[in-house]
Amino acid sequence: MEQIKIQQWLIGIFSVLLIVTLMIVATFEVKKTMKYAAEIDVDKSTAQCINCHEIEHIAVTQIAAWEKSEHAVMGIGCLECHSAEADDFDAQRCPESDVLIARHPTPKDCAECHEDQVNEFANSKHAHQFWLLKNADRSILEMPIGTKHGCEQCHNITTIWPDGSVGECDVCHAKHSFSMEVARQPETCGECHMGPDHPHIEIYNESKHGNIFKALGGDWDMGYNTTKNEPIPIEAPVCVTCHMDGNEKQPMTHNVSARLATESQATWSYRTVWDEENLGSWEVKRDRMESICMSCHAPDFVETYLLTADLVNLQYNEMRRTFVYWTKKLTAAGIIDRLEADGKFFSNPVLNGWDEVPEKMMYYSWHHEGRRFRHGAEMMGADFTQWHGIWELQHNLVEMITWAAEHGDKEAHKWVNNNHPSKFVPFALYDIPGNAWGISTMVNTTPFVYSYEDYWDRVKSNVETAYNNGVLSEDQWELWMKRYENLDHYLGVKYKDNPEVKEAWNMYKERDAIDTKAFIKEAVNLKLPGKPFGAK
Amino acid sequence: MKIWIKERFPIDYAKFIEITEKIFIKEPIPLHMKKWVLAMGTTPFILFPIQILTGILLAFYFIPSPEMAHESVRYITEEVRLGFWVRGFHHWGANLMIISIFLHMMRVFFTQSFRKPRELNWILGFTLLGLVMTISFTGYSLTYSQVSYWATTVGTNMMAEMPLIGNFLLELLRGGPDVTANTLTRFYTLHVWLLPLAITLLIVLHILILRLHGVSEPEGFKKGYYAFYPSHFHKIIIVTLFLLSFISLLSVALPPGIGEPADPLTTPLHIKPEWYFFPIFLFLKWVPLNIGLLIIGLAIMGIVFWPFLEPLLAKKEKHRTILNFIIGAVTIITLITFTLIQTYTH
Repeated sequence: MEQIKIQQWLIGIFSVLLIVTLMIVATFEVKKTMKYAAEIDVDKSTAQCINCHEIEHIAVTQIAAWEKSEHAVMGIGCLECHSAEADDFDAQRCPESDVLIARHPTPKDCAECHEDQVNEFANSKHAHQFWLLKNADRSILEMPIGTKHGCEQCHNITTIWPDGSVGECDVCHAKHSFSMEVARQPETCGECHMGPDHPHIEIYNESKHGNIFKALGGDWDMGYNTTKNEPIPIEAPVCVTCHMDGNEKQPMTHNVSARLATESQATWSYRTVWDEENLGSWEVKRDRMESICMSCHAPDFVETYLLTADLVNLQYNEMRRTFVYWTKKLTAAGIIDRLEADGKFFSNPVLNGWDEVPEKMMYYSWHHEGRRFRHGAEMMGADFTQWHGIWELQHNLVEMITWAAEHGDKEAHKWVNNNHPSKFVPFALYDIPGNAWGISTMVNTTPFVYSYEDYWDRVKSNVETAYNNGVLSEDQWELWMKRYENLDHYLGVKYKDNPEVKEAWNMYKERDAIDTKAFIKEAVNLKLPGKPFGAK
Repeated sequence: MKIWIKERFPIDYAKFIEITEKIFIKEPIPLHMKKWVLAMGTTPFILFPIQILTGILLAFYFIPSPEMAHESVRYITEEVRLGFWVRGFHHWGANLMIISIFLHMMRVFFTQSFRKPRELNWILGFTLLGLVMTISFTGYSLTYSQVSYWATTVGTNMMAEMPLIGNFLLELLRGGPDVTANTLTRFYTLHVWLLPLAITLLIVLHILILRLHGVSEPEGFKKGYYAFYPSHFHKIIIVTLFLLSFISLLSVALPPGIGEPADPLTTPLHIKPEWYFFPIFLFLKWVPLNIGLLIIGLAIMGIVFWPFLEPLLAKKEKHRTILNFIIGAVTIITLITFTLIQTYTH
């Protein structure tokens, strides 16, 4: 063949070869940049597990979940967590392969790499056994089978394993992706923190925080790393942001008790004493929480908001005191009885008697309504503080006293026949001049109790007593006093006679009069000609 | 209008047109250039202005800082109107430029156009390949994704292996011991100023030398010429239109992603460079680093000085040609094989 022909053939063949192969390679490479998935190395033993599981069709979606996990990227395969010794409590031989594996990796296994996180968790109240230690055996109402997939499903987060380790990491870090996004999702916390007794996810959804998350959170990268003392990268917090995440000042922690200053789930609200040696006093814990709040809020707002929530907790105690008074009185009078078994009292009417109306009111006023009242105030769930909280508490109290009157208690009878509005306030009050949101000029002109001349002096003496007993901090007392000393300003009444305020107020008054006229005309005074069907 | 311009640019227009015609319009093109496979040198020359134009558009939005680099690439890709398309153009333009330089080099090698008196242009051409690969490397680093960050770290690490001046060069390029904000601004300056300038100057020189010698004519073709305009000019327009359509198609069908943001604290399990470095990368994985770099250095020297080595290795004209065919074929097959192995093993 001629040289020129050979040249052309060589150039032609290699041109096609170069173009085709290099374009394929370039395409292959650009496609990789289009997905985030990191590449993973599957070791021999993991490959064996995967093969067998795929052939047998056992939990195959977990393989895909693992492949997406940081574990897979880091080269953590199956046996790093599932390895077992023959005498381990959960040792099991895979039926098809005879490989010895651990059926239940426990926090002890997780601690091989995540020691700090496991220790933090074990030292938090998440891991506390209170539901067993303070057990009044509610299963007399619920029956054990009802509790298996009921109480236990959530409270298993405190489980003590045969190897002595405590907790279940995968309650939040869903296996086998162990995704940070899933752990951070409010609904993960809401799997347990929901419902009538602690509607935390509902409170969060009602709050401005939850609203912003719902509206914008879809675009946020919830897998962010929070261990680097960097600013919180999201615009509004999810549950984990305040209770666990780090910011410039606070380290990230798996100890959810590290930032909680009040035990507001208990029968009585009190300042936290949990692991004080390591976590510090309630004031230290509150400082931690405040420094997270201040990632988004000004100090004055944070301090006023939380002081108000603290006062709600103290108010709850005073209301509970009234419930306890009536329950004890009725028990002593033999109007209500404790449950008995084998000659021993089984129940305590102020805690867990369930068969008589005052006992039920007592229980709900702590376990359901009492918590909603307090937790709503702590996490911006207005409706939970109000209608699902204090309104229900007052309703329970009325119900309880009315029941007592019907069952022969003279004092209760007197209460029922009393027509003065103050009868609904049979307890001491806490309050704070104004609120955290700003100055409201008219709202504080209406409360009945504000008509008492010594109202604020009575409240001040209560708040001062709380401060003197260490329930409020010095800073909180000073903040309260600052507002007390400028009472008219913070209550807004100082401004209620301003012409601008009056003008606005009168406009709404006029409109209200028109509204009232309209409903009287259209509804109240409307008479229909057709006879009612109940009448002959 | 014409008079107005003539008054302001008082040059000899007849002469100007005559020169233009001589240099461009009536430039004698040898007959063999009618064959497409023998006329591929223009492709990278067409692609370069596309890179400049799309590069300027990208520079409107790109911010060369560790905090903002990846975010601005994301912004360009996801939020700027047609940003993904411009970025795709720039990415695929760079890829095609490298492929087209390979093709051009291969043609020059097989037609043995590097021979005397065109040795210098062969060396210039190879230098241009080196510069294009460097500009691609710096451009890839600017995206500051996890893959590109670590490719930059490992890529620049190789600098340190150079005897005597290695560490100095490494620090000069990185602006410190590690890949940091300093590295980004240095790479940015290289990518948008120094390297484009150097490439432009070398292209001018490359074409000037080509024009001075005239296009080399492979033996065996009928001697003869045709004018640049219109036939060859149309050919260039066709190629340009094809390239624009093809790159646009690639940009839409296969737009480059943004990858994970760089995390200097977490070394990924697999680090790899862009595909055009795969043969070198794979080779260095197989042999000790310094020996590998020495061999690659020698191979590069061999290619650069091939016009001078070839006469030493084979005396007879026929033997030289056979040697070239064998060496060329073996080199290309090796490069393709290495590239494919590295792609597959990933």
